[in-house]
Amino acid sequence: MLSITIENLTFSYPDCSSPALHEINLTMEAGEFIVITGATGAGKSTLLRSINGVIPHFQPGTLQGNVWLDGATPSGRVPVARVSAPQLARFIGSVFDDPEGQIVSPIVEEEIAFGLENTGVDPAQMDGRIAKALADCGISHLRHRATSSLSGGQKQRVAIAAALALAPKILVLDEPTSELDPDGTEAVLNVLSELNKNHGITIIIAEQKVTLLAPLCDRLVLLEKGRIALQGPPRQVFLHPHIFAKLGVELPAPARLAHALVQEGVLPPFDSPDAPPIPLTVEEAFTLSRQLL
Amino acid sequence: MPAKLTGRPLIEVRQLKHTYRSGGEALKGIDLTINTGEMIAVVGRNGAGKTTLTKHFNGLLRPTAGTVLLDGQDTAKLPVAQLARTVGYVFQNPDHQIFHERLFDEIAFGPRNLGLRGDELTARVDSALKAVDLTEYRDRDPGDLSRGQRKRAALASVLAMETAVIILDEPTSGQDYQESEQIMEILRELNRRGHTILFITHDMELVQEHAHRVLLIDDGKLVIDAPPQELFRQEQALTSAGLRLPPTAELEQRLAAFGIHSDAGTVEALATSIARRSSRIIARDSFDENCSGGVAACQ
Repeated sequence: MLSITIENLTFSYPDCSSPALHEINLTMEAGEFIVITGATGAGKSTLLRSINGVIPHFQPGTLQGNVWLDGATPSGRVPVARVSAPQLARFIGSVFDDPEGQIVSPIVEEEIAFGLENTGVDPAQMDGRIAKALADCGISHLRHRATSSLSGGQKQRVAIAAALALAPKILVLDEPTSELDPDGTEAVLNVLSELNKNHGITIIIAEQKVTLLAPLCDRLVLLEKGRIALQGPPRQVFLHPHIFAKLGVELPAPARLAHALVQEGVLPPFDSPDAPPIPLTVEEAFTLSRQLL
Repeated sequence: MPAKLTGRPLIEVRQLKHTYRSGGEALKGIDLTINTGEMIAVVGRNGAGKTTLTKHFNGLLRPTAGTVLLDGQDTAKLPVAQLARTVGYVFQNPDHQIFHERLFDEIAFGPRNLGLRGDELTARVDSALKAVDLTEYRDRDPGDLSRGQRKRAALASVLAMETAVIILDEPTSGQDYQESEQIMEILRELNRRGHTILFITHDMELVQEHAHRVLLIDDGKLVIDAPPQELFRQEQALTSAGLRLPPTAELEQRLAAFGIHSDAGTVEALATSIARRSSRIIARDSFDENCSGGVAACQ
């Protein structure tokens, strides 16, 4: 079990007057599915980078506070800054928003093997691990393809498979479906949900659009200029449409419909005791509307 | 301003086929006419042929068979430099088109090739930078910008060309909600001024809100060519092409069986329609407010 505790984390990039993250305090339990959202520049990627160790191991800047990993070593909690990058890679898998910048090998199979080799996985195990990671991402058929011939969406799934092959406890993903079509997006989200539910892998994902993620996640964290504006289960966070509007983050359509129904006077306000839960899916929004007719 | 064009269709695609050297048949015979002033969304799954199709409109790809006429002229016989004056193309990956070390020079590259110099060139570049909200980065290295900002920089470099046709491959991916709205507003404004806009997207909400016409491409074929509302009524075709209804359209369709009708495509319009049919009124006088249009409004 590996949990993360972020304590008073402030980080500034070099030559930037204001910090990208400002006194962040956040705990992420083992097995949670957490979505980080917010407008461009809110600090989503910086927060992910301080969890997976890119900050401070590779990214220069000024760091105050700590990101603690609890359960990584028998000796109790350790700060990410004191765990070497190769060791972190055994616990925390990362998928970035630009798959082209992440993929280094000419052939898909080699790309998946790359991380396994670097972390000293027994060659006898490799074939099975590669096959499973590709199958879990629905891309077994791409195993022998040239990475340069893949579409953006296929590359994103290869990047996820490469991270998965290392059997991480935590997966950190920065907009992993930005270039995927709806089928591909659904496939990737199903993979993440399955890894979370059945394998207990902690999922931490940064996204601009939370419509599809809301029904899957335990917690939404809404960032505003490097600070946490709002966090909690999606049904609670969606009770504050004005904060979403103020931060320029789109509230998903099912929740917007519910708020519009309150405006129309056919649903009680969501802060009243007899209010129904806010719908997260089209199905829930349909059921709620149906009850009013 | 759009270049002067004749009364002919702007783009005419006849039996267009394209086979890549690797052997894949990406387009399997497409027929299509695009007129000046249209705002068109091109949708379909990854690998359906959307990008392959649109790259034929500015000569980045040449037909394996069939023809593409631009303003009546066969694009296969026009040099790319000439096509570039009429058709601007914003790639999905901004790093495929950004190569200068100063943002100003990046944006100025195209207009310079058109022969613009001095104040005219500066004005053209600055106005494009302003449109995409990157003025403060004018003298910076585009490499220092975020991916979302680099995408807007790529858009600015095409805006600065002021081509009659602008094609954008996934213009809003990696942009936040406000930035997406801003980009779409720029495109709508260009469209109002007479530019023809084609954008490739996976975002069906974007299609619903901004496109007048949608081309659904699947497996190298044009499957549906219709306005968004009509496309959304063909859910089966949409799903089998790997797409989904936008949530609002899905709600509209499921509620239609209960007498809820709203073609406005917004959840607010949907809520108003539900309230009119609802017998359950929580707030005191909202029913009267809803019925202020008379009895007819309450039916």
